[in-house]
Amino acid sequence: MSNTVSYDDVVRNLDDLPSLPAVVMELLNSIDQEDVDISVLAKKVSHDQALTAKTLRLANSSLYGLQVKVTTIQQAITYLGFQTTRNLITAAAVTGYFAQGHCPGFDDKAFWRHSIATAACAKVLARHMRFNQDYAFTAGLLHDIGRLVLVSCFPSQYSMTIAYREEHDCYLLAAERQVLGVDHVQAGVALAEHWNFSGTMRQAIAYHHAPEVPGAGFLATIIHVADAIVHALDLAQVQDDLVPQVSNVAWTALGLDEEVYLQIFRETELQYEEISMVLLS
Amino acid sequence: MTGNYHQLALADVRPGMVLSDVLLDVQGQVLLPQGAVLTEAMLALMPRHGIEMLPVETGEASPEETAATRQHHEARIAHLFRKTDADAGDDWATSLLQRFVRDFRVGHQEHGHE
Repeated sequence: MSNTVSYDDVVRNLDDLPSLPAVVMELLNSIDQEDVDISVLAKKVSHDQALTAKTLRLANSSLYGLQVKVTTIQQAITYLGFQTTRNLITAAAVTGYFAQGHCPGFDDKAFWRHSIATAACAKVLARHMRFNQDYAFTAGLLHDIGRLVLVSCFPSQYSMTIAYREEHDCYLLAAERQVLGVDHVQAGVALAEHWNFSGTMRQAIAYHHAPEVPGAGFLATIIHVADAIVHALDLAQVQDDLVPQVSNVAWTALGLDEEVYLQIFRETELQYEEISMVLLS
Repeated sequence: MTGNYHQLALADVRPGMVLSDVLLDVQGQVLLPQGAVLTEAMLALMPRHGIEMLPVETGEASPEETAATRQHHEARIAHLFRKTDADAGDDWATSLLQRFVRDFRVGHQEHGHE
């Protein structure tokens, strides 16, 4: 009996996933557009009360150090800027999106702890590299989203993948390739296309395990290193977590010294605590 | 907790130190329980709560505890990096990350003392 899944199987199943709120799709798709009508988007988001509430709690967390309490999306945009607010809305929407608990062995809380921590770390890294912090945050949050696609579409096979990983103590990526035949990177790329993510975001998802590939883009490098840092800092609190191999090319491309890394570790932990309190509560 | 302790200025408190008493904020709310092992993250949050002094067990009074904390961190980091071969020269970036995280958790101590 074969448990393997083909890339086409993944693509066929994408339609069965529930869709994100339309306004969130719109936000995701417009991430590198400058000419978005802000007031229209703000109004649309406001119609979704749960989403608005979560977004505002994030905006009011000490992460952003606002002196006033924002009470509307429009206000958040005024004080935090459009890019940052869009990030917060995306984060608030995506973290509550996939159905939970259908795949024995899969810890979706731990998955999100890792994703949120990677988002926080990528944002911090981006600031040090003078790279767009909002791209970095969103890419960090979504870099492993393919895993949720696999878990949602093929729960029993993914359960076997997790069991295989435990038995062989290998990387989950290797177990996916061995048991499923498709990995979370491919599934993530399929979803990114299905959801019309921008090219920048697709590339970051596609190359976060191979940032040294020519043309992978700098965002992939940032996500790659952020992912490893978060595993190393043990932020997802997974008993048998493994730090992935860090690409020498990516590490060199960042060119940061130890002092800066220690500061990045500290900032990442602080930001992670704040964000996860809102998103995972 | 037994052993000597004293109030240390925030700037002199290091991660891994242990609270010798319950820590209250200016309103008298409990921030951390007695015996909590202080982390970088906790210490960085102290100014926000108006904390300038912390009751910590002195290093000399409980070297066993400091050692235990350090050992715990070392063991955990070694476990997380169990696929990394520090002696394999071609995987130097991962080894560097491991060293930095170790320095971050337990401080510099290349020569095995302090």
